[in-house]
Amino acid sequence: MAMLGYEFMQRAFIAGGLIGIIGPVLGLFLMLRRQALMADTLSHVSLAGVALGSLMNLNPVLTGFAVAVLGALIIEQLRRVYRTYSEVPVAIMLTSGLAIAVVLMSFSPNLSKSFSAYLFGSIVAVSDTQLRLIAIVAMAGVLFFIGLRRPLYQFAFDEETAFVSGTPVSLLSFMFAVFTGMTVAAAMPIVGVLLVSALIVLPASIALRLASGFLAAAVIAVAVGLCGVFSGLTASYYLNTPPGATIALILLAFLVAAVIVQKLLGIQHRNQKLNQYRRYNAYEKL
Amino acid sequence: MILSSMQDVVFGYGDEAVIENLTLDIYAGQFTAISGPNGAAKSTMLKLMLGLIKPWRGTARFTRVLEDGTKLSVGYVPQQVASFNAGFPSKVIELVRSGRYNRLGWFRRFTARDHEMVERSLKEVGMWEYRNRRIGELSGGQKQRICMARALAQEPHVLILDEPTTGLDAASRADLYRLLSGYVREQGKTVIMVTHSLEEIDPYVDRIVRLERKENGGWQCSVTNSCSAPLSQEA
Repeated sequence: MAMLGYEFMQRAFIAGGLIGIIGPVLGLFLMLRRQALMADTLSHVSLAGVALGSLMNLNPVLTGFAVAVLGALIIEQLRRVYRTYSEVPVAIMLTSGLAIAVVLMSFSPNLSKSFSAYLFGSIVAVSDTQLRLIAIVAMAGVLFFIGLRRPLYQFAFDEETAFVSGTPVSLLSFMFAVFTGMTVAAAMPIVGVLLVSALIVLPASIALRLASGFLAAAVIAVAVGLCGVFSGLTASYYLNTPPGATIALILLAFLVAAVIVQKLLGIQHRNQKLNQYRRYNAYEKL
Repeated sequence: MILSSMQDVVFGYGDEAVIENLTLDIYAGQFTAISGPNGAAKSTMLKLMLGLIKPWRGTARFTRVLEDGTKLSVGYVPQQVASFNAGFPSKVIELVRSGRYNRLGWFRRFTARDHEMVERSLKEVGMWEYRNRRIGELSGGQKQRICMARALAQEPHVLILDEPTTGLDAASRADLYRLLSGYVREQGKTVIMVTHSLEEIDPYVDRIVRLERKENGGWQCSVTNSCSAPLSQEA
């Protein structure tokens, strides 16, 4: 593959592969906690951090990262305030993050030009710092999801029951919020602010349709995420299309295919059952 | 031993109090039923007791350590409609196995005893044949049963059930009462259960906590030792 001869493509594949592993698993938990829009929100919040870092002459990658984590923690706190309206904190933070980012960007006209890489993602935007951050986040993610798989399962199924049976729900909520912020900030250079939730939510949506058990759902989500990232990056290189949008469209195509296959299998299964029932009735009459 | 103690507890939703000046002790080793009409704050009282919500005023304590220093384990079956995550991608057996997680900790592997407890719990609620089904494919009554199996698999010292008989037929309800009664009488465990079916459960329970709204407004909690006993013994 000629494209892998380029260093920036090697970086994009490594970074995309790492995010393609942890993003979908995170997405699975976010969807199960009814927080599918959390990734989208945090990417907007992170944009405010990027703008702030650029204005203050700090590393925008690191400020974007820190602000995304802070945003996740604020959403978690607001979730306790709006217990019955869990989508409200997400909406509040989404608009707040974007508003702050736009105002900060207006202070420096040059800044808005470099923002397209953050908004839509760019293969060449993966710097050394970002690659290191992504590697750290991915390692932390693998340890987090494998090490804490049991309490996370209980926590995702029903927080109240988990709390009563002794699971440290507050600590898990805190860790989960921090990790969500970290993953979103790390995924931004690959797919961009506007499409980061596609990489996190779409593989999980496919997995939830197809999987029969929890472990199977996690495996399917990761497999779909990796296929989507690798095929998206390849298509983006050869077709000269934005990587984030290409990955998102490929994942969307996977979702449509999964829905169609599932429907067809459902029809086939129903017909098999119907035939069994007819054969049984015919046998009874004999 | 007092398991839970609530002193002068006031709690409400919005600006309306639904529990007023509740003082109540729940004892370990007993089968306690909590009853009352809809809106009498039965589930709210359970949540206050368990520390899931904080009272506006007064104190609600729940013992977390037994007299011998062992950490108290609590199995909780919440109201099905409110809590069951039907879209969760899990098989029945996976969900019931999760009842063992707190015993095993985060890393210890399942032993033969753990598998045996999961199997026994599923058999006790009549769901062993459904162990490989997706939980989202089950009926309301079956979902109730697997939540019960998960709590039983935990082998808790205290079992707390919020209207566990919703969706169960008469025969299944009777089986459940016998099972819970055996849990208290034979194993010395504690059961606290919210129920509407007081007449059915009366022969099995040690204590009934009745919650009701008075006609002139206000709220009352009384404790009796049987369903037919007069509401003389104040909480």
